[in-house]
Amino acid sequence: MSEPGVTETTEAVARARAGDADAWGELYRNFAPAIFRFCRRALPTREDAEDATMDIFIKLQKNLSQYDETRSFSAWLYRVAANHCWDILRRRKIRQDKETEDVEDVPLEHPDPSQLDKLIEQKTSEEVRQALHKLGARARMALVLRYYSDMSYDEIADELGVRRAFVGVVLLRARHELRQALEGKSALAAGGTS
Amino acid sequence: MSEPANPVSQDGPGGTMDHLDEMTCLLYAERQLDRARAQAVSAHTQDCAACRTLLRALDRESRLLTRAMLEEDEPLPSRLAEFQERARKSFGWIWGLVFGLAGTGVYALYTTFVEPAQVRLEAAGFGGTSLLSLLIFQGAFWKGWQSVITLLEVLAMLTVAGFGVAVFRRRLRRGSALALVLAGLCAALALPAPAAATVFHKGETYELAKDDTVKSDIFVTGARARIDGTIDGDLFFFGQSIDISGHIKGDAIIFAQSVRVNGQIEGNIRSFSNNLTITGTVGKNVLTFNELVNLDSAGKVGGSLTAFAQSVGIDGRLGRDLMVMAGETIISGTIDGEVRAKGRNLSIGSSAQVAGAIHYEGDNPASVASGAKLATPVEFTKMRHKSRYTEGHYYVWRVIWTAAFVLFGLVLFLLLPKFAAETVSAGERFGAPVGLGVLVFFGVPIAAVIACVTVVGIPLGVLTLGLWLLALFCAEIVVGTVVGNWILGKPADTWGLIGRMAAGFVIVRIVYTPLANLHVIGALVGLGIWMWGIGSIALALYNRLQPTTSQAAMPGPMPPVSLPPHTTVGGIQPA
Repeated sequence: MSEPGVTETTEAVARARAGDADAWGELYRNFAPAIFRFCRRALPTREDAEDATMDIFIKLQKNLSQYDETRSFSAWLYRVAANHCWDILRRRKIRQDKETEDVEDVPLEHPDPSQLDKLIEQKTSEEVRQALHKLGARARMALVLRYYSDMSYDEIADELGVRRAFVGVVLLRARHELRQALEGKSALAAGGTS
Repeated sequence: MSEPANPVSQDGPGGTMDHLDEMTCLLYAERQLDRARAQAVSAHTQDCAACRTLLRALDRESRLLTRAMLEEDEPLPSRLAEFQERARKSFGWIWGLVFGLAGTGVYALYTTFVEPAQVRLEAAGFGGTSLLSLLIFQGAFWKGWQSVITLLEVLAMLTVAGFGVAVFRRRLRRGSALALVLAGLCAALALPAPAAATVFHKGETYELAKDDTVKSDIFVTGARARIDGTIDGDLFFFGQSIDISGHIKGDAIIFAQSVRVNGQIEGNIRSFSNNLTITGTVGKNVLTFNELVNLDSAGKVGGSLTAFAQSVGIDGRLGRDLMVMAGETIISGTIDGEVRAKGRNLSIGSSAQVAGAIHYEGDNPASVASGAKLATPVEFTKMRHKSRYTEGHYYVWRVIWTAAFVLFGLVLFLLLPKFAAETVSAGERFGAPVGLGVLVFFGVPIAAVIACVTVVGIPLGVLTLGLWLLALFCAEIVVGTVVGNWILGKPADTWGLIGRMAAGFVIVRIVYTPLANLHVIGALVGLGIWMWGIGSIALALYNRLQPTTSQAAMPGPMPPVSLPPHTTVGGIQPA
């Protein structure tokens, strides 16, 4: 993520809050690509991501006064984006497609490390991105929050509405889904060694 | 921490070393284990190559994920790149358009409707020259034809009311707003004469004997009713036939096949029936939707008579105006006001007396008997069945209507900016709103009518129907805004949305106007717009009623059994 420096952002935010349209434009130019990418990863289609990006910035413009300047602007912006995207997915009830499944099938056994290593070795970033879109909404969202936005487990728990203790389970399960999608078979995802 | 420090079972069933489970490895790799457990995992991986490899694989997987996600694989879409710029550029001309149209709408509304309406009201004895009097008079929808308000008047009034709320709402605190609403409700409730508890009667027949008196409003449902006594309140009847020979001091609201009024009704008659015959006296006005209406020679109506019927006969005396939309209208009695008639034929008998002007639009010229005493000759307009689309003034009116709707939309968007944005967003999903629109468009009126069958359901039914009509008014505005968004892109704020609404609405009108000439296609497109718009509103409402994102609303937490037995949280700090 090529984001502007903290000082520049803080100044731009302060000016935007004071009604400076240029400052607002500056914030948009600086953060729109990253937020679009976030939405692109989190939402099913490109159109959804475009719409969501615009909506997020509209929301941001309205709620800029609520931003606590003592905290990181980009972290706050990602929270807004995450809320928005998760809200979209929740409303579409996409989460029902996989999230209602029993999670007891999350394997606790020791997967075959060499097979997993091989899989990671073989797959490219592009393939991972494509596989990402085959995941259930919550699994995808969890991975995006963790590995794109670098959110803590507490933040992810808050965002997804699960107990903090289960964030690890959600993430592990998401990885299994991803491996399934990448491999097209269930050996690694199930954690088996065969 | 009461859990064992070492999460690793050293001895398996076969006496061989067990491995770390994947969850523990992941939590360790993500630094989510507490220090003691992390140290135990670390110690285990010193001796266990498989677990070490797994940890390394998980870490590589994390890095692959991060890299895949952060990689700039596609540029920012031009739509987003131009988002800010377009919003700024579109601002100027859209505002010119909005205010231009709004100004035109206000002027057209005032000169074409409000002013003449005021003049007519004054002539009808309602007095007052302010808009307020018109608004107050609007409440007398049932009181006579003068107050049968047009759609534009509704728009004008809603617009004025909306402006008022939009201007003052920021100054009203929640408490004071609530107090205002409550005070308004109290005032509204206090306005009607206080009556005793309402009487309900349900049965095959109902008879109120000559000497009996009901000192309250009365609701009657049944096949037949006969009122020979006195009702000191309003009468509501839902049934087959009713004969009123007694005395009703309030209004009579009747849904029946046959209605006969031989006695006296001091208030108004509001009737939805097959035939209505008045041989007695009605103190105020009559509004009726019937097949046959007959004001008998002995009958007298103190106010005006408004009828939508197949055949209307006026043999008695009418204190004010007559407005009819009927196939056949025959006037043989006395009318102290004006006559406005629209229909196939109008016959004025030799015994007829009309004190006011007679405006008649029909297929055939009025037949006036030689002995008829008319204040002015009949002003006849031939009813034209040819296409109105060939006439210039049709298009002028389209512009006026467009302006009025844009103004109305502006007020709505200012009043409910968030809901407006949600509705437009819902409209952009096409399939769902159209599907829901079909359901709402046909289903809601049916449900409202069914609700009206029961006395208790009447207010609910009427309210539902009112909301449905309001949604219909707004449907084209919603569709216009969606179209505006397509063309100009997403707006940055409410004013941007309003600009897009204005531009989109005008475009929809421009496209739809020639299509409307093609009857079937025009009707289908019009229906489609209605359904799309009303469906979007319904969908936005539905979304609003969904629980918001919150922990409580989310699916329940996953069962604890899915956690590894020794997992804890807290995270070890990087060494």
